[in-house]
Amino acid sequence: MLEVIDLSKKYGKIQAVDHVSFCVPDGTVGILLGPNGTGKSTVIKSITGLVRYTGQIRIQGIPSRELAARRIFAYVPEIPSLYDMLTVREHMEFIIRAYGVRAQEGEVDALLARFELLDKQDKLGSELSKGMMQKVSICAALLINPQVILLDEPMVGLDPAAIKELKQVVLELKARGATVLISTHMLEMVKELWDVTFVMNEGHILGSYTRQQVGNEDLEELFFAVTGQAKEAADACAQGCAATDVGLQGGAAADACPQGTGIGAGGR
Amino acid sequence: MNSILYLYCTTFRNRIRQALHKPVTYVYLAIALLYLVMLPYSFRILLREWEMDSAEGMAAVFTAFAFWVIPSNLISYAKRKGMVYRLSDVHFLFPAPVGFKWILLYTFLKTLPAYLVLNFLLAAGGCYVFGVVWWKMLVYFLFSIFLENILEGSIMVLLYGSERMDQKARDILVKASYALMGVIVALGVGAYLKERLSFQAVLYFLHSDQVQMIPFVGWYAAVVHLLFLGPTKVNVACSILYFVLFACLLAAAARMRCSGEFFEDAMKFADDYEEVLSSRLQGRTDLRLGKKKKLGKAYVKYRGKGARAIFYRQLLEYKKQRFFIFDINTVVSLAAGCIISYLYLFEDGFGSFNDFIVPAAMAYVVLIFTGFSGKWGKEIRTPYTFLIPDYAFRKLVYATAMQVFQAFANAWVFVLPPALSMRLPFSTVAFTVAGYVLLYACKLYVLVVVEVAVGNVLGRVGKQFFQLFLMGLIIGFAAFGAVLGFVFGGIPAAYGLMLFVLAGMLVILLTISTLCFYRMETVNR
Repeated sequence: MLEVIDLSKKYGKIQAVDHVSFCVPDGTVGILLGPNGTGKSTVIKSITGLVRYTGQIRIQGIPSRELAARRIFAYVPEIPSLYDMLTVREHMEFIIRAYGVRAQEGEVDALLARFELLDKQDKLGSELSKGMMQKVSICAALLINPQVILLDEPMVGLDPAAIKELKQVVLELKARGATVLISTHMLEMVKELWDVTFVMNEGHILGSYTRQQVGNEDLEELFFAVTGQAKEAADACAQGCAATDVGLQGGAAADACPQGTGIGAGGR
Repeated sequence: MNSILYLYCTTFRNRIRQALHKPVTYVYLAIALLYLVMLPYSFRILLREWEMDSAEGMAAVFTAFAFWVIPSNLISYAKRKGMVYRLSDVHFLFPAPVGFKWILLYTFLKTLPAYLVLNFLLAAGGCYVFGVVWWKMLVYFLFSIFLENILEGSIMVLLYGSERMDQKARDILVKASYALMGVIVALGVGAYLKERLSFQAVLYFLHSDQVQMIPFVGWYAAVVHLLFLGPTKVNVACSILYFVLFACLLAAAARMRCSGEFFEDAMKFADDYEEVLSSRLQGRTDLRLGKKKKLGKAYVKYRGKGARAIFYRQLLEYKKQRFFIFDINTVVSLAAGCIISYLYLFEDGFGSFNDFIVPAAMAYVVLIFTGFSGKWGKEIRTPYTFLIPDYAFRKLVYATAMQVFQAFANAWVFVLPPALSMRLPFSTVAFTVAGYVLLYACKLYVLVVVEVAVGNVLGRVGKQFFQLFLMGLIIGFAAFGAVLGFVFGGIPAAYGLMLFVLAGMLVILLTISTLCFYRMETVNR
């Protein structure tokens, strides 16, 4: 389970994320949506521990900065950055050592073969194309056998075969009870994967929607409906009306992790 | 720890392997070897002249060095700068379940091989140049490799990794370090001036008890004095304080809580570092590490169409910059011009070479900056330049026009100080400026020729060497023209023929580079 509780982050005077709370339970695929510059990246960097923040983030109930939490958490960044001087295989070896993974014999080979990297395993990071780097990044994340995995625009740069494989991997992770959070704008690619989606705008979670709630509504339509609604509300506020909590209107719950459903989001 | 060591050792091994496959490594090694042979010999003569070829001299050098290096390291750690993390570290290392202090030490370890080599050379130099007995240099070597590194690592962890120290405390520490450096420099300069510009006075100051009593940096100097010059009450007491400090800082670093809050600053630094690194590889000098470029607001009215748009776009970019077209080249030009003036006015001038010193210095500056191609280097790597629907020649001319204009301005900055001090006639000044502009234009067009001729064969360094070779040829031809002109018609003919040769070269290069540029946009794209 991934819990983000009352997360706030300021860059200088700019409030990038403002009291954001949400929760993705075990065996669930969450999608983080929002227009550019709405704070999604900041939320992701906070979960990964790359920025200072206020609030709490827990991975399987453990504060995210603790080693025990990091041991079961995997991250695939939007732009992969490999070590120039490590080969693909050496990247895997580093992950095995860093995470204390007990990889079975042939497990690494199978993973590399799955993403068509076996013949590239002796290539240095600096010799790979962006798509190949992304595949290495995904393989490194999967090698950990994560209980919580965060994928930031994972499909950018991947070929159709790799995208298909990644979708399959996400479903497998879900089936074995892992928590998956994907941040993406490629809504078409995740339409068959998602269980819950969180829509962000201007540093807030506007709402969270489960697949059951939405029914047959398309993610894209939902996105425009929610963000359009936000604009209307902002316009209305600009005209002097009483403040409207858009997040609660559109969303499922106000608490970070409500009892019962295990899915929820809190806005301002 | 295991993973950090694996990362460190594998990266190091692969880097060495890759370097050994590159021919340029052997060129660098040969140059380094040459310096290694020549430098100690020259230093020995110089130090003998200054009466510093002794253990006292060595202690003075280390003391001066410590007062320069230790505060500047403190400043960079307190500012959370100076630790070079790459984006790959941010991707793989930061989220990994590796102790935060180990992540800090990993980057510190990266400097260890260079530190080892430097200290080995210092130890060898200490024996040969300063005449210090070998066992003392061996003790110093071990002291610097083990104790100094552990101490500095502890300080780095305490300052860089501290989560208790707020920004205000960091600012105070930075200012205090600057103040310490300032006070020491001022005292040294004071001693130099007070004792009638005597270098011995500075040495006396560096060996003084007061210096060794300054906390931390002075205590280090005390250890050095104890080792090289034998015990005194002050250096023994201060050395004890140094080792007490060592134990305290090591214990504090080990006990300090660190939960990785430094990642945010390290990530920003990694971003900046990659940006600056890639700009340097493209031959640009405008970006500085840790300093965000501030751009103002500007407006240009585009006149004409096609390739002219490149010129106006560049003009807009320059107008947004703080100093317009003036950059590091301008500073170098001004400095070179001032040095020539100083040498002419205060150091007997240049004899019969007076009339040619400015163009010769200009040629030297252009030659050593051959690898820095500025905006033009970036321009020929972007597909947008090639996509503009216009003739290759027009694109080439308009894309380089601003830099030629920049060269014209820099030439005046270069030539004015010597023109005033040496009272050069206006015609000479004008010819010199013209020569600089022509040579600079040649440099820009040589880049295209090199890119097409050897771009697919040689790497970045190889291409730079080839560029350097071609520029050397052009300068050689121009110098030959100048000599020929001087022999047959004196100085005016020398300048005239030099300009004629350069102009001829430029026409040839412009023609070839137009063809090359055309080839780049039709074949190589």
